Amino acid sequence: MELFFQQIVNGLVLGSIYSLVALGITLIYGIMQLPNFAHGHLYMLGAYVTFFMITHYGLSYWPAILFSVAALVVIGMLLERLVFRPLHHAPHINSMIASIGVMLFIEATARKMWGSDYRRLDSPYDGVIDLFGLTITEQRIIVILSAIALMIGLNLFLKRTVIGSTIEAMAQNREGAFLVGINANKVSLMTFAIASGLAAAAASLAAPINLVYPSMGAMVNLKAFVIIVLGGMGSIPGAVLGGYILGLAESISGTYINSEYKDLAAFALLVFILTVRPTGLFAKEAR
Amino acid sequence: MLKLIDVTVKYGSSIALHSVNLEVNEGELVVLLGANGAGKSTIFRTISGLLKPAAGEVKFMGQSIGGWSPDRIVKAGIVQCPEGRKLFPEMSVLKNLTLGAYIHRKDKAGITRSLENIYELFPILYEKREQPAGSLSGGQQQMVAIARALMAKPKLLLLDEPSVGLAPLVVEQMFKTIEKINRDGTSVLLAEQNAFAALQIAQRGYVIENGHLVLEGAREMLCDNEQVRRAYIGA
Repeated sequence: MELFFQQIVNGLVLGSIYSLVALGITLIYGIMQLPNFAHGHLYMLGAYVTFFMITHYGLSYWPAILFSVAALVVIGMLLERLVFRPLHHAPHINSMIASIGVMLFIEATARKMWGSDYRRLDSPYDGVIDLFGLTITEQRIIVILSAIALMIGLNLFLKRTVIGSTIEAMAQNREGAFLVGINANKVSLMTFAIASGLAAAAASLAAPINLVYPSMGAMVNLKAFVIIVLGGMGSIPGAVLGGYILGLAESISGTYINSEYKDLAAFALLVFILTVRPTGLFAKEAR
Repeated sequence: MLKLIDVTVKYGSSIALHSVNLEVNEGELVVLLGANGAGKSTIFRTISGLLKPAAGEVKFMGQSIGGWSPDRIVKAGIVQCPEGRKLFPEMSVLKNLTLGAYIHRKDKAGITRSLENIYELFPILYEKREQPAGSLSGGQQQMVAIARALMAKPKLLLLDEPSVGLAPLVVEQMFKTIEKINRDGTSVLLAEQNAFAALQIAQRGYVIENGHLVLEGAREMLCDNEQVRRAYIGA
């Protein structure tokens, strides 16, 4: 039983990270109908920035995370401005292909600059906490709590502020948003900034648990896409719930079936859910 | 106030509007009559910047606005209540209205005043303010759409078929409301298939067929015109 609860905690840690990445993809998809295939690689960049800020520049953990989030916010905005905005009036497939191009570009750049080595970031929080008989490292608690705080913050921003609600307005009715005077370009820019910032935060939180390497974004990316298909494309609650479902499924199947099969479990789950609900858990009604 | 000069609009290679000339003066209520697919919505979408004219000029208060982005046109004072309403269905009525005042978002007191006016005009929206806009009946959603447009305090209000799909009693009420909005100082361009009701409240009108403006004139002239009577009033 103790093992089971231990795996629940591990699943929540994984799920927190997946959800933050999936949220970014779903936000961008919601307003631009663009599946940003490069998102996992923004996550990877976020991990590297945090890693180097700590190991090379001697920042402590939290300032390094803040710096990494800020850097990725800028990179996300540059991507929107330089790559995706010029393609706005082009056929839809062009921006999808561009996002694959960005993905390859980021990964190749990372390999060239930093090599293909696996790097390890030591957690400043490597103590363990006893919680109801479970031993949990402090870092894992930090991941879960920070992710929840970020999700609550994002939700408040989207629901309670006028600027935040322009993102939802554009996702719910694009032309309706234009006709009340919302500037599409500003909203796209802001959405890319938020999504990239969330990816950097997720990567920085996970960096002390996982390893940092140039292709680390690929699997996270694939999982995040599984999550938003599973949760319903463009759905915010779907991304959060989907993230935790996938995280828990992986950690539990990895323990009780075989850890070799944990990635398989994710995709088996996807196939199963899409068989039962082809449009995803929180699909928007057809408009 | 608004002037379309020889405006031509194309969808791909097919021409949707052929050199349209149309004018709305300050304080006027002008009706645009035409059947489904005649080009009414195309004119509206072009004025709002959702479509770009292939040729010709759109002028508003002395400025050439053809080619401006939709949000810039809203800021200039032209606000559209579009066909199909285009509400934010999962947001509450109140949130839809608040976003309607997006361009005035810094003026909190002004928004509160506008909301009071709206609730006076459409009391039902006050009762439904916390409900998702998508859950309202068709007539109520139409009220939200008009109210959302009014929240932007337009100088010129474009109404694209506000009566479509509404019960006759509601239509009558809707036209009374539009007349009141116009009396209170907002210029209105109204697209309608319901020519009889629209001509009751309009001062002038245009008739559009297959992308050509075929007739224009004062209300009396259009009401007496044999062609209009046959085609749109059914008398």
